[in-house]
Amino acid sequence: MSDEKSKVTDKASEIAKNIWLAGVGAYGKAVEDAQGRLEKAGVEPPKLFRELVKAGAVLEDEARDAIETTASAKSSVEERIARVRENFHMQRPARIEDLVALHKKVDQLNRKVDKLSKALALQQGSTTATRKAPAKEKASTRKKAPAKKAAPRKKATTRAKAKPAARKRKA
Amino acid sequence: MKTRDRILDTSLALFNEEGEAQTTTIDIANEMDISPGNLYYHFKGKDQIIAELFGQYEHALTHTLTAPIEKPLSADRSNVEDNWYYLYVVMEEMYQYRFLYHNLDDILQRYPDVRRGFKRLIQLKRATLFAICQTLLQQAVIDAKDQQLLGLVDNMTLNLTFWFNYDQLLHDKRAPQVTIHQGVLQLLTMVAPYLGDEQLRFYRDCEAIYADMLDAPA
Repeated sequence: MSDEKSKVTDKASEIAKNIWLAGVGAYGKAVEDAQGRLEKAGVEPPKLFRELVKAGAVLEDEARDAIETTASAKSSVEERIARVRENFHMQRPARIEDLVALHKKVDQLNRKVDKLSKALALQQGSTTATRKAPAKEKASTRKKAPAKKAAPRKKATTRAKAKPAARKRKA
Repeated sequence: MKTRDRILDTSLALFNEEGEAQTTTIDIANEMDISPGNLYYHFKGKDQIIAELFGQYEHALTHTLTAPIEKPLSADRSNVEDNWYYLYVVMEEMYQYRFLYHNLDDILQRYPDVRRGFKRLIQLKRATLFAICQTLLQQAVIDAKDQQLLGLVDNMTLNLTFWFNYDQLLHDKRAPQVTIHQGVLQLLTMVAPYLGDEQLRFYRDCEAIYADMLDAPA
């Protein structure tokens, strides 16, 4: 009996330790509950003990599960914070920093457009240049995915334009 | 979707919209177009449905609430605002199970298990808000003495727990985003006196968004 009792207290303290993760207040409650139950258990032993051990085992499993899943839960909390942040930024009044950031973005885009139109000019300039230009484009825009996407599209349109011209020449 | 999950979803929707006390298992079966017998096969009564829903809620909210205790939401002063965004996350989660808060005393009296779980959640809310405030204090975002800090944490917990109840009593039904946004704004109003100029700007943004929401046609 006393063996079982010590097992119970061990378990209770272990659970309390796990529950501590869930907050200082919850910890106090868990210890209080466990102590209350143990005192009651002293008067009226066997059945309550078994129940307590059973409940303890379940709680322990739950606590363990909770700890295992906190890693994924944490990332989901971060994701949700990111979503709220985005939503909030859309709703709040614009600030000077926002405008500065927008200006920077526009400047970057301008530079990209300049590069692309240069490359395009080269492509249209001569047939040998068309083979070199795409390589240049790729190197300059490797980091920016949208620009990369835009480049082949333009290439495709120039090709499409070039084809009918070639056909006309044949005819 | 399994019938069991559908029952839970439908019950949650009805509880939230019509109130838990006004909804019977017959209502739930009718809403789903299934026989009461079919519902009974999955849940022996409304208390089982409530227990299951509360279990889901406690599980989800516990995960959310432990995050700031395990690791500060803001690494330094540069992303302090994440703490405020986090309050939206918590309120949004609570809002999904708002039926509990709309009729809190009644539900807690009728379902002792829910009462125990709810007490755990309040204690956890307190611990979470305390952890957040501690982090803010360490990062010198707020300036408060020990007793002030504890008082602040208790007030915030109180506000967080009873906000939906209060909001419903005062305004009947409002758009969810207005309820949630004002709830966060109220929490921030309590922190505001301890904030420096830098963070007060966030608070002003929050106010501005709220003013816009009230201006917008519902």
